Formats: sequence, C-alpha cells, structure tokens
Amino acid sequence: MEGRCAVESWIEFGYPAASSTPRVTFGFGADVFICTGSNEIYVFNVLKRKLTAVLCFSDPVADLVESHDKQLLYVACKSGVYCVSSQLLHRAQISSAAAPSSPAELKISSEFLVIAGDGISSLLLVGSVLLTLRQTNTSWLLSPYKTPKQAQSSSYEVLSAVSLPLLGDTESKAGLRRRTALVCIHCGDATPPPSSPETSHGHFRLDPILFKLLFGVEAALAKSPVILCSLPDGRLCFFPLRLPGSRLRVLHSLEQPVVFLGASVVMEPGPGHSYCLVAVGEQGRVVLIKSEKEFGDSLAGFTEGCIPGPVVCGCVDENNLYCSTGSDLLKLDLSKGSVREGKEEETSSNTATGLQSPTSLNVCRVTAITVSTHKTTGVIELLALSVRGQLQKISLPVRTEDALAPKMPSTQMGRNVRDLLSAIGDVCKRASVLKGAIKSKNQILRHLNQVLNISFLLVTNTNTEEHLTIQEKLIRCHGTTSWSRLLQRDSLNLTCVLDNSSPYVLERGWTLSITAFPLSCPFTAGGESSSTNFSFPLHTLHPGETLEVVLPVAAAGDTSFPMTASCSLSFSLTSLLGEAAAASFPGLQSSCISLPLNTLTVDWLHTLQVSSPTATLKTPTCQFRWATDGIESFLSSRQVRCSGRESASKPEKYSARVQVSSELLRDTLKSLKGDSENLSVSILDWLLSEGAGGVKMGHHGDKIAFSSSVVYAHGPNGATVKLTAKEINVGEDSTEQEESVSVVKVQVESSSIAAVCGLHHAVLCRIQALLQRAPEKAASIKVQILGLRQALERAETQQNQISGAVGVGISTGQVNRLLLNVYKELRDNPLLII
Amino acid sequence: MYQPLSLLDRWIQENNELVNKCKQERGRDSSNQDSNQTHLRCCSSEFHKLLRKIQGIPPTADREQLELAVAYNACVCSVAQSQFSEAELLLTQATERVKEMAGGDPGTSDSLILWRFALRSVENKALHPWVLNLLCLQWAIWLATCQLKTIQEFQELSSLCDVLCGGVGNGSRNNTGGIPLLVMDPMRLTELLQICTSITQGAESLSEGWSSEALFSLQAASILPAPRDLVAYTHFLSGCCLTHMSRPQMALQCYKQALETDSCCVSALYQSLLIYKQLGNTQAEIQALRLLYSTLMLPSAIEPALAETHLLSPSLLLSSQSLRSLLSVPSVLSVLHSLALKCVLYGRVSEGVEHFLDLLATIHSEDQHVHGEVPSLPKLPELYLEASAALLMARRSADCMVLCSEVINKTLELLPEKVVLEEPEESSGDVSVEGDSKLEMLLWAAAAYLLQGHCYSQLKDWKQAVTQYTRCINLLIRVRFTKRCSTQIHIPSADMDVKGGKDVYILQRLKGLSLAGRGISFSQIDQLKNALRDLQLSLQAIPECEGAGLWCGEVLWKLGRSQEAAACWERTWSLTTKPLTESLPVYLQESQSGPLLDSTELRHRVQELGRT
Repeated sequence: MEGRCAVESWIEFGYPAASSTPRVTFGFGADVFICTGSNEIYVFNVLKRKLTAVLCFSDPVADLVESHDKQLLYVACKSGVYCVSSQLLHRAQISSAAAPSSPAELKISSEFLVIAGDGISSLLLVGSVLLTLRQTNTSWLLSPYKTPKQAQSSSYEVLSAVSLPLLGDTESKAGLRRRTALVCIHCGDATPPPSSPETSHGHFRLDPILFKLLFGVEAALAKSPVILCSLPDGRLCFFPLRLPGSRLRVLHSLEQPVVFLGASVVMEPGPGHSYCLVAVGEQGRVVLIKSEKEFGDSLAGFTEGCIPGPVVCGCVDENNLYCSTGSDLLKLDLSKGSVREGKEEETSSNTATGLQSPTSLNVCRVTAITVSTHKTTGVIELLALSVRGQLQKISLPVRTEDALAPKMPSTQMGRNVRDLLSAIGDVCKRASVLKGAIKSKNQILRHLNQVLNISFLLVTNTNTEEHLTIQEKLIRCHGTTSWSRLLQRDSLNLTCVLDNSSPYVLERGWTLSITAFPLSCPFTAGGESSSTNFSFPLHTLHPGETLEVVLPVAAAGDTSFPMTASCSLSFSLTSLLGEAAAASFPGLQSSCISLPLNTLTVDWLHTLQVSSPTATLKTPTCQFRWATDGIESFLSSRQVRCSGRESASKPEKYSARVQVSSELLRDTLKSLKGDSENLSVSILDWLLSEGAGGVKMGHHGDKIAFSSSVVYAHGPNGATVKLTAKEINVGEDSTEQEESVSVVKVQVESSSIAAVCGLHHAVLCRIQALLQRAPEKAASIKVQILGLRQALERAETQQNQISGAVGVGISTGQVNRLLLNVYKELRDNPLLII
Repeated sequence: MYQPLSLLDRWIQENNELVNKCKQERGRDSSNQDSNQTHLRCCSSEFHKLLRKIQGIPPTADREQLELAVAYNACVCSVAQSQFSEAELLLTQATERVKEMAGGDPGTSDSLILWRFALRSVENKALHPWVLNLLCLQWAIWLATCQLKTIQEFQELSSLCDVLCGGVGNGSRNNTGGIPLLVMDPMRLTELLQICTSITQGAESLSEGWSSEALFSLQAASILPAPRDLVAYTHFLSGCCLTHMSRPQMALQCYKQALETDSCCVSALYQSLLIYKQLGNTQAEIQALRLLYSTLMLPSAIEPALAETHLLSPSLLLSSQSLRSLLSVPSVLSVLHSLALKCVLYGRVSEGVEHFLDLLATIHSEDQHVHGEVPSLPKLPELYLEASAALLMARRSADCMVLCSEVINKTLELLPEKVVLEEPEESSGDVSVEGDSKLEMLLWAAAAYLLQGHCYSQLKDWKQAVTQYTRCINLLIRVRFTKRCSTQIHIPSADMDVKGGKDVYILQRLKGLSLAGRGISFSQIDQLKNALRDLQLSLQAIPECEGAGLWCGEVLWKLGRSQEAAACWERTWSLTTKPLTESLPVYLQESQSGPLLDSTELRHRVQELGRT
C-alpha cells in the first residue's frame, strides 16, 4: 500500500535568498532552528507550533551547530563564529511571553563573536572541539578550536589546522559560497565519550569494519573520531581527529558538488551502527559506501547510482534516503541494496535497482529537509522548508508491509490498530463534513437556478407588459377590498393574492413587497408621496398555489383615492448563503434583486359600501355608525343635523354624469357577463362588482342583487352616494328626428364633491378599460356631430362664464363658486361615448 | 607666532599621552595576547592619525623632531603587527620630509642612497638622533624580511649603536616636558637588533657551510647585552657550528652553556641528545631524552620563551628559515616514544613500560590533537605491539594480552584470505599512500598472536601457548611468494631499504619465532616429535635463533639423539649472540621470557658426551 504524504504547513518565513543554502536543524528540546540564508535564524517550537525567537546577525548565516549539552549555539556567519547561550534565548522567550503574538527578537552583536574569520562555511562540534571549515585563497582549511570550559570565557585556542589544496582554479572565485558539510564518524565499537552523545546532529556511529576499511586501523585503535567533510568540488575528505600525524585525505570524489552527506543503518538489527555512508551530489549522483566481501576479504565498496534531476537537499533516516529535486521528494530505500554475504552478483544489481527506482513522495519545492522520527509511534516525519519559505511537516505514510509486521510486538500492534481506527474515524468525519458542504452547495445552486428562472420570467413579463394582460401573467397579484371593523373603527383592507401559476417554486428568500401610494396627493401633504411599504417573506410557494396577504389601505375618513399598490418580488442573496456565510461578505448584506410584478389600483368604486336602497333612504345618518365613541357620534350627528339644516335651506347636491352608447355597452357587457335584459342594472352591477385594475370589491354580508338602476352607498369619507343608471335616447329631444341613439347615462350624485369626483373618475376609468376591449364598430356620425355641436355650444358659454369671472375683479369666493359651476356643468353634460 | 607653538605643544602632549597609555596597557596584561593585539591596533591607528595631522603642514626644524618621533612610534606599532610594507611606507615618507626640509635631491629612489643622504643632511644637527632612530626601524624591517645582504652593505649600521648609546639616550630622559616620548627605547632596540642580526647571520652562514666564520661572529655576539634567551641562542648556534666542525665534546660544552643561560632552550637539549647518540653514550642519551621530555611538558615550552616585554618581540626579528630548522625539535610524542623504546632496549624495562603507557594514554586522551606531522612515530598498531612487548619483558602478561587482543580485534575482520607477494619493489609505492596494506595488517595480527603465545608460555599455560602460536603460523602461511620473491628469501635482512623486502624479513622472523615458541611449548608437554619438527623449521627460517637452536638440541637429547643434540648446541654457541637492536622492532626480538636452558649445564652434558 502506498499511502500519500500528509503535508502540514506551519509557518512561513518568506523566500530564502537565492544563492544560499537554507537549513533546518533540530535544537534545544522542541526547538527547530531555521535559517533561510538571510541574516536571521528563526527558532520555532514544534510543540507550541509557534515562532518563539528570531536571532539577527550582522551577516548571512552559513551554518549552525549546538553544543552537546544543548547550552550553546554556535553560528557561522561571514564575519566569524558567534556563540549564543540557550539561557539568553530562553530569557528572551520568557520576556516576550508578555506579548505572545510576536516572537522575541535578539540582536547578536559582535560581543558574541568568538572566532573571527572570513568564509567559514561549516561547523561541527566534537566533544570540546569546535571544527570550522573555510576556504582560503589556495586551500580548504579545517581548523579545530578548543572551546573553553566556562561558557563565559571567550578564549578559543586554535589547535593546529589541516588544509587541502583547492582543485583547479575555477573555484578560487570566492564570490559564490557553495555548500560544504562536516560530519563526525565514530567507530561503532568504541565506547562513546560521555560528553558527546551519539544522537547529536552530524554525528554517526559507523560499523567498525567499514570504519577500519575506510579510515584505517590506526584511527580505530586510537578511538579517534573521524571528521568527514564534503567539498563543493565533489571531494569527500576525512581526517582522524586524535591521531598523531594525521592529514586531511581524500576518500572519494563525486565529481559534482556534494549536497548531502550522511550515514544510514540499513535494516540491520545491530546496536545502532550505521552500515552505510551516503553522499549525494548536486546532479543526482548517489554514492553508497558499504563494506563488501569479495573472495572472503572485506573491502570498502563504493556503489554509485543516479537519481533523475538535480538534487536540492537530502536527509537520511534509518533505512531511507530522502532527496528533494525541487519538483519532487524522492525516497530511496537503501535497504534494498543491502549487502548479503556470498551474493556478489546480486548485490550489484540490487543496489542499482535500489538506487535507480526511487519512490516519489509527491511533495515538491522542498529546499531544506531534516528527519524527525517519533520513535514511539514509528511514524516518520520530515521537517522541510519549501522554496517559498514555508516550514512544513511531512508525515510519511505508515508502512504496512508484511516484512515489518512480525517484528512488531503485540502492544505496538494494538496501538497501531487503534491509530488506524482513529484515523479512519477522522477520515469518516471529514468525509461527512465534505459531503454536507457539497450538499448545501448543490442546494444553493438549485435554489439559484429557481431564482434565475423566476427572474427571467418576471423580466420578460415587464418587457412585454404592454402585450399581456394581467391574466396572462404567470405570477401575478390580484386583490380584493373589504371593509372590516376592528376596535370600533372601520378600515378598508386590501386582500392581495399572489398567484403562482408558473412551473417554478417560489422558495425561501423571496419576499413579496407591496407599496401602496395614492395616485394623487392631497394638497396638505405638500406633494410628498405618502407611500406605505409592506413586505411579506414567502415560505414556499409551489406552482399553482396562492398566497393571501391582507394589508390595510385606508382607515375611515381617508379619502386619498384612487390608491395604487405596486407589487414586486425581491430576493436577497443573504438568504441564499445562510446567515453565517453571508456575514463573511459584508458587501452582500444589502444586495438583493427586486422584480416588479403588477400594479393594483383601488379606486372609489372599490371603496363603496353599498347599502340596501330602502335602508339608505330611511336612515341617512347611519353612515356614522363607525364613530368611535358615543360623544363623537353625538357630536357628528349634531354636526350633520346642523349641516342638514343648512342643506335644507340651501340644498347643495353635486352630480356627475357619463353617457355611453348602450349598443356599445351591451356588446361589451354581453361578452363579459352574458345577456342581460336590463342594461342599466347590469352596468351598475358591473361597475360595483367587476374587478378593475386587478382589484375586486369584496362584499360583506349577503350579496346585494342589483335589481334597480339606483344604488345607494357610503363612500369612505362617509358621504352618501347615489349611483343611477338610466337608458335614454339621445336625439329624441332634437329637432331632426332622423336618428336617435340609445344611451346609458350613469349619474353620480352626492353631497360630497370629493365623492362625486372620485366616483366619476373611477367610472370613466372603467368604461375606458371596457371600451379598449370593445369590438370596433362604425359609429353613427350624425349623433356624434350632434353631440359635438352641443358640446361646442356649452364650451362657448362656459368660456364666457370663466372669462367673465376672471376678467371682472370679483372676490375669490365668487370665482370658486363660478368655477365649481362650470365644473358641474361639464360633469353633467358629458360627451356621449359611443 | 604664538599659534603654531601651542599647536606643537599640543601635539607633543598628545603623543606623550598615547605613549604612556600604550606602556600602561602593556604593563597591565602581558599575558593575554588577543587583547594586546587589539590594543596595539588601536594605538597604531592613533599614531597614524596624529602623524597625518602633523604632515599636513610643511616641515620646519622645530616641528620636525616631533614629526620624526611620531613617525617612529607609528612605525614601531606597524612592525609589531608584522605590517612591514606599511612601516616602510612611513619611513620613506619621513625621509622625504627630511629631504624636503634640508633641500637638495639625491636624484634616486634607492632606499640605501636616500638614507645616506638623509643622514648626511642632518649631520651635527639636533635632528640627527631622530633620523637615526628611524634608521633603526629600517634595520628591523630588513632583518625581519631577511634582507641580510642589505644590512651588510649598509656600513653605517654598525656605528649606530655607539652613537645612540652616547647621545640621545641621556637627552631624552632628562627633560620629558618638551621632548616627545617614544614607545620603545631606541637603544634597547639597537641592542636587540644587533644580537638578532648576529644570530640570523650565524645561522645563515652555518647553513651555507661557513662554520668557522659563523662561530667567530657568534662568539662575539654572545657577550653582547641582550635577553637571556637570545644569548642562549648564540651559544646553541656555536654548538651547532662545532658539531659541523666535528668537535662533539666542545659542542656539548656550548649546548651546556646554552642550557645554563636559558634552561628552556630545548633545541640545545635535542642537539646534545643527538651527539650522545652519535657517541654511543646510551645512558646520557636516555637522560637527555628524559630532560627534553620534561622540558617540553612544561607549559612555557610550547611557545618559545622569548619575553614579550618589548613591543618588538625577538621572534618577529628571527624569521630566518635556516635558523628555524636548526631550532626545531621533534614533538612530545616522538620524544616520549624514543625515550620509552630506549629504556626498554637498554635494560630499564619498568621505566620504559611506564613511558609506553604514558604515550598510549596521551594518544587516547580527549585533549590530544594533531601536532603536525610526526614522522618518526611508528604506526599505532606497531606502537601497541612495542608496548605489549615491553609489558611482556616486565612480566605483566595480563596487560600485554589486553593490548595484543586490542590489535587482533581491530584487524581480524579485515585480514585477507590470501596475500601474494609478487613484486615488492613496485607494490611498496602505493601501499603506503592508501593507509594500511593488507600484508601490514596481517603481520600486525600475527605479531600480536606471537606475543600472546609468549605470554602464555610465560604463564606456563603451554596448551594456550600452542594455540596462539598456531594462530600466528596460520596467519603467516596465508602469504604466498611468487618465484621472484622466493629466490631472494634466503637473504633478507632488516636493513633492507625496500619496504616489501622488509615485510618479507619480518614475515620470516615471525615465522621463525612462532615456530620456535610452539616447538618449545610442545617440548614442555612432551610432544617431542612435533617440537622437533617446529624447532627445525624455525631454524630454517631464522638460523641465528638462539632459543630454537638450544631447544632443538634439548629435544634431540631427550629423544636420545645425543650426538645431533651436541652438534646443534655447538652450532648455536658458535653464533655470536646479539643483544637487542634498534634496527628491529622490539616485538620481533627473541623473547627472553620463555623457559630457559642453562648453557653451562648443557656444556657439561656435551663434555660428558665427549668423554664417553
């Protein structure tokens, strides 16, 4: 089973300098030191997952090493080697704990400089000896320094240095700092000195046989650690540290810059010896140095292999070599090529395959890497620095090969199973979360689709509104007016019905908003539109369903009719995403789309409260029954009586009249209401019951049969209104009796001029709408001419009256009366509508 | 007129303050070299700054004194930091200023002519001593850069000392108020220069083979006033001259004088040691070695004990290569090794053993680090074997066995199954480069087994002894000879230069000794036939082996072949018995630790046999 690597990004440091070699090193406890090649070293705490300190140096950092007791940190910069104590670091960290968001920043001044010297490229600490590797003009210089016993002392005594001449003249250009590496190899059977634990960075314990083969019996006898260094020219050099008279000698040459130098255990059950030295070159050459047996003799075998691509960095754990090529992280199983005795031919081929078939781990852009194996769980974790300066933890997939299984004790097996189960649980939880997210997104998409469909539908509606009547719209509103009485106050309610006859569902998020405003404003309002908004959020409206909402249009006494109620549907995006998601987009809060539906008009006819003819005549004051309390009703009645007295003395009654050709009416009404014998009755019926402007008149109580051609009703302002329809012949009274036209005359009479005007307007509007539907017909020209002539005559006299009134300087009251008379006359003698 | 005078005073004051500060700092901590260096650097830059200020205005007679004094101070600081080119530049500038003031042009840039001109131009003027001071520094630079010929050419230098001692010394001391101070007394400097020049010249002429001339001048120099260590050098170099002139006893006297003058003169000790060796005076040699070792172990001996009291240290001036090669002594480890070996070879076994153990402990100590090339020290396994042989001689078998098993453990896994000795002349070249050759390791392991065999026979554990000897023999027979080699086998010797030949000799010697040892062990457990076979084979390998010869006779005697036994004994006695030699590794010498036969008793037996 080849699992995938889990990469977890911890922190980002910014792009490392181009020419530098970034490093990631494990340090004091859970601290990791990261240097990206700049002047700074970052101290990252793995447990807290947080950057705890930044060390700033005056020059770019080349290498760093910590002392075996983890008390000191040696850092090689361009100007020399600095020594920073961990106590200083801890103190800085503690002081910065007050402000936990920012890491402690430590400026390392030159007082920490312990070894001055230019061009130190690598450091290594062996016991109390600090080794530095530097390039001079002519040679590589490996200088051991004796570190002082007391940390405070600054005397670093240089012991005799060894040097190796440079190869060729190309590398003498000191401009480019290439990477070098220093590692310390201990002989496996030598007892480790207590001061240098073998686990420290850059120290390896090598198989004694290989050690002796490579570095000689003398080094083994002297129990001397051997310093192995890799140079940019590809040479691997070694130097027994404690052997008298030893020199820096060349072990091997890779012929390409060495990127990595390390040692690996390679699957041996031995006591932690490394059985193999590994060096990796920049162009991908890998050299394994192992002991081999040939004809019974031990030999040091140098096996070379090649991995594809340039290698950026590498590291090694017990069995595997990890190399980053920048585009991929490769794992080379060194154990595949491990040497078995007596299988010489197989060995070479094995090694070749082991080196040539690296496993890709599919992690790219890694520039520095180090291994942090958790021995307890057996999970191999790599700490890597990416090209972009991200510190990443790469958890390798747990090997589940059979080869490993029998070696595991049962407790560990149990633990592994537990780990696996919990991992499965995690995956399951995560999968369900993802599934939920996908589901909700699908939901939103479906929702959005509906919304879009509806929007398109409504937009095309508005574009083609002139061609479609209300009935043809798929989503529309129509209304019914009704009077209701609440708390002894009557009010006119408009019941608005949203009819969804489209194939789409109106879902949550849609809001029906209705704006009611009077068509003409009273003068007192000063021209301000006194509109009222009502919005009703929809829950779900399936196709064919209707929604009924009731909105108060006017209270008693309010005469601002006709009233327009424009309906629209609006949709808010907030509801689409849900509250939580929408909160993250502040711009989205107010964004919603609004689509107009249709407009309802409530006119005077709708507001009439038709009373039975008898009752109306007998109790003319019954309209005041809606007075709120006794006193008010009393006062009102008093007032009416007074006015009644006044009217008795001076009966002021206004009337307006509309004449429509009965033939026309008959045709159109027939098409609407069927045949009707009495045209005058049916027209009243039609006027009072038919829905015009999308609004019907609601009747409370039983349906009044309009048997007579006279209807009494109360207007919204309480005035009594009388509607009369009469069929007459126009032309009867004319002298030439050639042709008479039958005409229906609708007369509005009331003592309230507002009621008369309103009703007249309403009646005209309705007839206008009616006539639009009327079949085209050649009208009798004669009657028209007659009518026109009369009208002209009247217009002349009226003009005279008006000009007379205006011309003579009379009082405004007289002018008003005069104008009112003209108006009344205009209303009383309408043109005949044919 | 008032203004420049006060300026002069201020500059003088500044100079004097700097000089005082410099002297105080040096007086305070002469131990810490690092801080001294930084302090020196600081002083140097201050003096340079002051000098630039003074040189900003044209030279006048009264100000010139100050300028030359400051130039002298700045120059001393530069020389002390080994910045010779910078110092020379300063001197050239100073002479230019003198020339400018005096007027006239020598018309050359040659430094010798310039100096002569400058000296002439200030002759009998107040400025004269100051120019002489600067000349001293020029001398110091010439000496430090080994331009001995120039020094010889410039005759005026010889008279410099007298002039300086006569005049200026007193003048400057009397009134310090108006006269600028100097960081280093010019008279002391002249003295130092004189003796250092003599020493360097002596060493140079000695290396060129002019021993008697060198001796003359060195003996003249030895009475000059100078620090003790420098005087000791003159004695030492005189001794070297005498050695070259083949007068070892007189040379020894000179060395002795050198040591009496300066007890830390290790090179004198080393040279006398070489003379003792040449004379064959082993006890004196061992004594000298012991002294040399203890002197080298003194902390001060690592650094040449030249006093750092002056700004200009003598070590700066004594840079001649030939002098250095004469002064060089081997490292502590080599001295200790020779001492130990000498002790073991010349009858001071227990002392030798202690020295060997010291040596091994030093090598294993964590503080031990490379001290350059140590060519005279044998390879570490050989050192182990020598030490264990010494332990065997001191009858410390258990310790011997530990050391031997260490060598065996390290080498055993690497031993070859078969080694073919083909053309030793050619193989010798690359073998030494690539570390340990297979044959070398095999011989080490075999020698270790041999010594272990000796140990067991010393403990009279004959069976174990036989086992170890057998192991040794089994290892040795892995080496095969090609024909070319085998024809030469009968004439190998330890003196052979060719390494391969030496290997063959060692191989033969090991074979002979191990066979002899096994033969003797067999004879002790009454396996007489085996014993006889081994002893006879041993005698084939090493005909001069005394123990094998005697024991062969003994075995023959026990077998009842008394005539043959007598012949065998007679032949063995006829061989000149060699004492332990230095030409052969000590572990390849015949062991004196095994069972011994009483020769007088044997002779008695032979006589009785003759009578019958």
